[in-house]
Amino acid sequence: MALARSGAVSFLSDTPYRILTLHGTTAFFYWLYSAQAALLIILAVGETRAGIALRTSAWIGAILIVAGFVLSELSAFEGTPLLYDANPELGIDDPHVVAGMAGGYLLLAAGLVGISISGIATTLIGARASTEGFSALGFGLFALAGFLIVSAIAAVNAFLPNLLWALGYASFPKDATTEWHILFHNLHYLPLMATVLVWYALARSLTGARSITGASFSKIVFASYLVFVPPTSLYHMFLEPNLPDSVRVAGSLLSLFVSVPTLIAFLIIVTSLEVHARANGATGLFGWLRRLPWANPVMANMGVAMLTMLIGLVFAFVLIQEKLAPLLSDTVFVPGYFHFFAVGTITQTFLAAMMVALPAISGRPLWRPNVLSIMPWIVLVGLLLFGAGGIVAGFLGVPRRVMDIDYDGAAPALWHTFMALLGAGGVLFAAGLSVSLYGVARSLVPSRRPTPTTAEQGAAWAMTGATSAPAWTGPIAIVTLIVAMYGATIIAFELMQALPVAASGSGASGH
Amino acid sequence: MKHEPLLLLGTAIVWSVLAVVYALAPGLGMPGYARVWGAGAIVFLILAAVLVGAARRRT
Repeated sequence: MALARSGAVSFLSDTPYRILTLHGTTAFFYWLYSAQAALLIILAVGETRAGIALRTSAWIGAILIVAGFVLSELSAFEGTPLLYDANPELGIDDPHVVAGMAGGYLLLAAGLVGISISGIATTLIGARASTEGFSALGFGLFALAGFLIVSAIAAVNAFLPNLLWALGYASFPKDATTEWHILFHNLHYLPLMATVLVWYALARSLTGARSITGASFSKIVFASYLVFVPPTSLYHMFLEPNLPDSVRVAGSLLSLFVSVPTLIAFLIIVTSLEVHARANGATGLFGWLRRLPWANPVMANMGVAMLTMLIGLVFAFVLIQEKLAPLLSDTVFVPGYFHFFAVGTITQTFLAAMMVALPAISGRPLWRPNVLSIMPWIVLVGLLLFGAGGIVAGFLGVPRRVMDIDYDGAAPALWHTFMALLGAGGVLFAAGLSVSLYGVARSLVPSRRPTPTTAEQGAAWAMTGATSAPAWTGPIAIVTLIVAMYGATIIAFELMQALPVAASGSGASGH
Repeated sequence: MKHEPLLLLGTAIVWSVLAVVYALAPGLGMPGYARVWGAGAIVFLILAAVLVGAARRRT
């Protein structure tokens, strides 16, 4: 897709949109949510040291997700390409593809409920067995399972009217775009909650470092995801032309809170690691970072994931501002920035977790850890090229989801330069990610001779507890992020004001 | 498990308030938001009740 957008390859007719639909459906829905469901169960079992509770529910859930995947993919492959939101307006002449994609997503939702119920029961076993009740991670997983169920409800709210219309049982779902935005908001932030839970678990697994703020505060942070995410959802409506001004102002103010739980969790994890590194002799402002086990691909993936999250946040805050959202939402800025999250942060975090879990399950050692520890850095370079190309091209007005941006030679030459950068970056991060995926997939093959896993290649820190030395890296990262957000916003306003364009909300699409 | 039900109860209250606002505030016109956040509030109320029940069984 990146090569097509850069102009390096071309497709006939609607093929690029079919590829785009398959890409979004596969990556955004089935990869991210299958991975979250799997990690919910894996982390719950790891935390409670017990087996999977309500195993039948988990199996039924897994089967439903597979069935949904097959239905969605076949529909996207054969019918009118609706893009991954399965917009019924695009399928008004081809309702069977709307039925197929909506039906697939509803099966996915049902599957998530089945697995979440099993996850809830599994975490409860651990809470009942311990004299202290839930661990912080156990409660975080319990809350995540609840949030997964709510997202499944949002999916029913979004896709059931589309399915009923497509099957001839209801009138056309005229509110489909609004209902999609509710689901989309949940789908955005749920993977970030899963990501910080994985970081929390991996930081302990790799170094033995425990949260310096204690379990109670960590539980509050995990619960804050549930509290903060719904009120911040209004900014998805900024493209609606009839949205009252008061709602726009409220949405703009509330959107600033959207990353609060993620940044607090980031701060706790980074500071906990730094404090424990310093307790084990690390010196210098950033010297403690060298004490982390970077040769372990789990650490490399997690470290790059944190870095890309900070980069992605800078531009996310540019996009969700009321004045900039209408100008940028239909440009290539959007894929330029969100791959920092979808690929750099979330996918690499989930792969890091699987690099620990799958070898432990199969007994086969992780494939070439030295190679896999390099891949996140290749992905990072690719994402920086892809992001720089996409974000700048978006500022310059390159449209999103338009394959031929030549406009009969009328398009600025600079557009092609930045889109070439996007294409090169896309190829690079896809190559690095493919190698990581291959390495993880190799671990699925059971081994006859169990061997130590990479999880044991962590930092050999003595857990001597806290130190009085200050830990500044986390706060410095947050301050840098805020400064960068202001800088990017100022640049965005200056650039947009310099362009001879006027924009108004179409209400037809969302980011 | 003393504080966890309270955290979930707080979540359910916030979601309930949002659902009511989306259902009743003039000009918003987003009934879907009211449905989803309202259903979510019920989910977290049920989970809070599950935790209270589990805590009682422990004691």
